[in-house]
Amino acid sequence: MGPLLQVSRVTKRFGGLTAVSKLAFELRRGEILGVIGPNGAGKSTTFNIIAGTYAADEGEIRFDGESIAGMPPHQIARRGVMRTFQHNRPFEGMSVLENVLVGAHTRFGRNLFSRSAAAEEREQRAQAERLVEFVGLGELRTANVDRLSFGQGRLLEIARALAGAPKLILFDEPAAGLTRAEAERIATVIRGIAERGIAVLLIEHDMHFLLPLAHRVVVLNFGAKIAEGTPDEVRLHPAVLDAYLGHAAAV
Amino acid sequence: MRVVAWVAAFVALAALPFFLGSYHNDVYRKLLLWVALALGYNFLFGICGQVAFSHFAFYGIGAYGVVILLFQVGLPLPIAILLALLICVILALIVAIPATRLEGFYLALVTLALAQLFIVLLNEGGTVTGGAGGIANYRLPPIFGTRVSGPTYTLVIVALLMLTLALLWRLDRSWFGRACRAVRDNPEAAAAMGVDVARTKVIAFTLTSALAGMAGMVYAFVDNTVNPPIFGLENAFLILFMVIVGGAGRHAGAIIGAVLLFLLPFWLSPVVGHHHQLIFGALVVGAILLWPKGLVGIWDRFSR
Repeated sequence: MGPLLQVSRVTKRFGGLTAVSKLAFELRRGEILGVIGPNGAGKSTTFNIIAGTYAADEGEIRFDGESIAGMPPHQIARRGVMRTFQHNRPFEGMSVLENVLVGAHTRFGRNLFSRSAAAEEREQRAQAERLVEFVGLGELRTANVDRLSFGQGRLLEIARALAGAPKLILFDEPAAGLTRAEAERIATVIRGIAERGIAVLLIEHDMHFLLPLAHRVVVLNFGAKIAEGTPDEVRLHPAVLDAYLGHAAAV
Repeated sequence: MRVVAWVAAFVALAALPFFLGSYHNDVYRKLLLWVALALGYNFLFGICGQVAFSHFAFYGIGAYGVVILLFQVGLPLPIAILLALLICVILALIVAIPATRLEGFYLALVTLALAQLFIVLLNEGGTVTGGAGGIANYRLPPIFGTRVSGPTYTLVIVALLMLTLALLWRLDRSWFGRACRAVRDNPEAAAAMGVDVARTKVIAFTLTSALAGMAGMVYAFVDNTVNPPIFGLENAFLILFMVIVGGAGRHAGAIIGAVLLFLLPFWLSPVVGHHHQLIFGALVVGAILLWPKGLVGIWDRFSR
């Protein structure tokens, strides 16, 4: 079986600025791949191109054997790529459980009035309850989302993404804005996701969070890949130390 | 159990007109129609978050549509109903497909323009629409050989209301209702969950507009007259106020808001005369400022 996600020679320009330049990498099934780089390295642009928010100017993105480059976000989600948002984006007027059920949108059959529709709703509701439990929000499941802390909101983002039964989850800086304890909790959840056989792509600038978690790391700077390898290889890579950490820094 | 509740509600609503005099029966019919309209508009505005001012225009399009097709064109009743419904659906699609691709504000503008245009067309429609005087002196053709009128016709209205409520209720508690709420709360996140945002908006707009058209068709045989002033723009705002005062996003809110704002002038007029408009205005402003979740929001707070 080939790689689950294949990004080849992707380029994105904003006016005169080339945000991402001829970027290529692969992601295997069940793998946790980290994409790191300093601010402005093109991480978020890369993320948004894969998620369908931006269209690449050049290059190809294949997911599960199919080209997804240029597809709108909802089409990409339907193919099994779910995402979280760096700035939590809950559905404000709904409970925790209902938010997760929106994540299961693609799991429902189209017919609303058949006998099977009620069974399907029950089944997805049970699954959503398991997911809320899995991320540790079980006690808040009927609470309105405005009662969640920022860290709990991030866990909700994850449960919501999982509800779509994805083959790949894209995490946009999952540790940003979290306390150390909350970040560790998120890391544990992400490991649990990978153990379920779901591939994980993490965009992150916090090396302390990412390196112990990722199986493999792609390092970006000025929109181009400067290094790729295991966390240990990347940690000691001279180009990485130079570009990302500065000369004196040690991780 | 739930079926029993629906049947009981239908029987209660359907039995009432047989105990009312003709004046109260008339008030009751219009009340039921306003509740049906508010329920549909609540789905569009409260649940799907679309600010549109065309809901009452579609009520008018349904009413005029069925009357023109029956008495000017001379079609049989079932075909006139289906064709009038089709006209509502096509018009709704023409408005919604371009408007929902733009930001929300444009839907408000386009639908406001549609509502205005509708009134102009009614006035300028010559013999087809009857101009400023509208069309009057017609009767509902016999259905299976019987004339449906009086309290029996009120049953038709009750059936329309119950079907509207049942359909919207079902939709609201399904993946479609959740998708509508998700589109309202955060379109970008909704798209990331696999929701086709534009399509969801178009479906919600078309469906609720068609429901308004159905209510209009039923209305056409309540007074047996249709004329431009009935479908004036102030009614588009009245539906909006009903939903806001009752509590946007909740079926109960739409029902309470419609009942309250429709009956308010009847209660207030004998007491304060034309000043009831003033109290009405104060209530709406108060609701928006003080109870953003409407009357059902207040109820929730006290019942908790």
